[in-house]
Amino acid sequence: MLKLKNVTKKLGNFALTDINIEIPEGEYYVLLGRSGSGKTQLLELIAGLSEPDSGEIWINNQNVTSKKIQERPVGLVFQDYAIFPNMTVFGNIAYSLHSRKLKRKEINQRVTSIADEMNISDILNRFTQNLSGGELQRVALARTLVNSPRLLLLDEPMASIDASLKDDIKRTFRQLNRNGLTIIHVTHDYREAVSLADKVGVIHNGHIIQEGLPETVFRMPVNKFVARYAGIRNFFRVKFLWEENRWKAVCDGNLVFNISDSSYPEEGLILLKSDDIKISGTEPSKCIDNCVKGVIREINPSEYGIEIMVDAGEIFYVDLTVNEFKLLHINELSNVWLTFSKEAAIALPGTG
Amino acid sequence: MKNSLFNWILLILSSLVLLFILAPLAGMFLHTGGSELIETVRDKDVQESIWLTLWVSFAATFFFAFAAIPLAWLMARKNFPLKNIVQGIIDLPVVLPHTAAGIAVLGFISRDGFLGNIADALGLSLINNPAGIALAMAFVSLPFLINSARDGFSAVPERLEKAALTLGASRSRVFFSISLPLAWRSIMTGFVMMFARGMSEFGAVVIVAYHPMIAPVLIFERFSSFGLKYARPASVLFIIVALAIFILLRLISLKKKEVQLSPDAEA
Repeated sequence: MLKLKNVTKKLGNFALTDINIEIPEGEYYVLLGRSGSGKTQLLELIAGLSEPDSGEIWINNQNVTSKKIQERPVGLVFQDYAIFPNMTVFGNIAYSLHSRKLKRKEINQRVTSIADEMNISDILNRFTQNLSGGELQRVALARTLVNSPRLLLLDEPMASIDASLKDDIKRTFRQLNRNGLTIIHVTHDYREAVSLADKVGVIHNGHIIQEGLPETVFRMPVNKFVARYAGIRNFFRVKFLWEENRWKAVCDGNLVFNISDSSYPEEGLILLKSDDIKISGTEPSKCIDNCVKGVIREINPSEYGIEIMVDAGEIFYVDLTVNEFKLLHINELSNVWLTFSKEAAIALPGTG
Repeated sequence: MKNSLFNWILLILSSLVLLFILAPLAGMFLHTGGSELIETVRDKDVQESIWLTLWVSFAATFFFAFAAIPLAWLMARKNFPLKNIVQGIIDLPVVLPHTAAGIAVLGFISRDGFLGNIADALGLSLINNPAGIALAMAFVSLPFLINSARDGFSAVPERLEKAALTLGASRSRVFFSISLPLAWRSIMTGFVMMFARGMSEFGAVVIVAYHPMIAPVLIFERFSSFGLKYARPASVLFIIVALAIFILLRLISLKKKEVQLSPDAEA
């Protein structure tokens, strides 16, 4: 469906470099990256708003690198929707149909149909200044979809809408994808990638640094940067040692982790997901892989319940649900024991 | 206490500036009797000169707008080599002494000049002609329209134009359906400013055309020939007409539905 071959584009001091992406028909591809990483520029290259300095862009087996925007079967929904404020909702949706010089009757028919699909029939005659974020999002989607694109590009589509509407919009995206639409969704939020993506690409400083199935990327991040995107907060700089017939990782603070067998370089990082760590107020009777004693420094509410910061010579973050936390009867300055399997400790070479 | 003293100083200084503008105008109005004013209204020469001033300035603004507005869009949207120099050229008429501007325009439209030569070939003379007056007015007032329109286009978020392009619109359709309507208020403000500036021009016009007399030249002529007393009623009448037109145009431009433009979110 879409192939980017060694696409490079210089923009001032920043450059998208050697971008290679292949997206088959019907795939939901999430491109994950911080602001300024080049996500939007990449979408603009695919849409045809700018031309690459080198490399090729293929859509449906056609080289579209030098093709005009108007001739590409691509729809782009902008981050803040870019709704035309001088037109009604109807005018916005009908805009592309007027460009194609369709007859008034057909325009009316197609606008009404897509407005029904997007649940915005009741606001068709309104100007857009007083519409909510969710309504604007649907107008922007309708305006793009009415043109029947083969490839839908979404630039941070959840960035400007209320949390309560996000699930609704996600359902809409999933439905569109199930109906066969290929989607590239750009975001900085790994949770969107987890919940929507067939495939994830992580972009940083104009390079795609990791690509793959979401579970692979988030389970085995190639470096600290990707790990942060996977929501991992526990990072430990370590030296890897082969000792007593097993691999160990020794932290700067001399804490030692048992890690699964593999071949490791001399130095690297150990990553631990907050929800892979078990916490208890009493010393476990049997320690299988890793047991660490520490003191609770902070207890903070988090998106999923409670986040506990434990000082065990190194700082650990542990996630608990509110119920799990209540059952533990622990407070700040309580002594606690942290346990985790050696498989939970993800080892990365270098310092990420 | 400090704050209060500061406020008093601000108030006094601001009042002085406003008084400086209003006092001479008020004095002129107060020194002009009703009968003198009515007599001036009936004066055919005055009527003709005010009418000439209005329509020539309007025509100059209207016709030059066709080229000035696209130039303003270019200045707002495109980066090109020597752009700062182009901006300097646009602003040049504002800093030139207006009589010098008049001399420059006269050189351009006289029979020896480029435009004058072409006009001459067509059997026209631009000197002492409304067309020459329009050129002189446009020369000194164009920056007002271009700069205001440029600011208007700059305030239109570029992503709206990009969105229109991705929706299959041609560059010209994007300009006419998105950029122009959204920059409309600034363009109209620039239009009014250019019109008003052209209307009040004396220095450049008097070099190009003493006759037919536009209102500022007529006022000067009455002053130099008959004195202050005779120049005053014509001045008052011209100010009243100019103000009325200015207010009317502002109202028309403001009537256009105001469109909220959010700042460009693009990085």
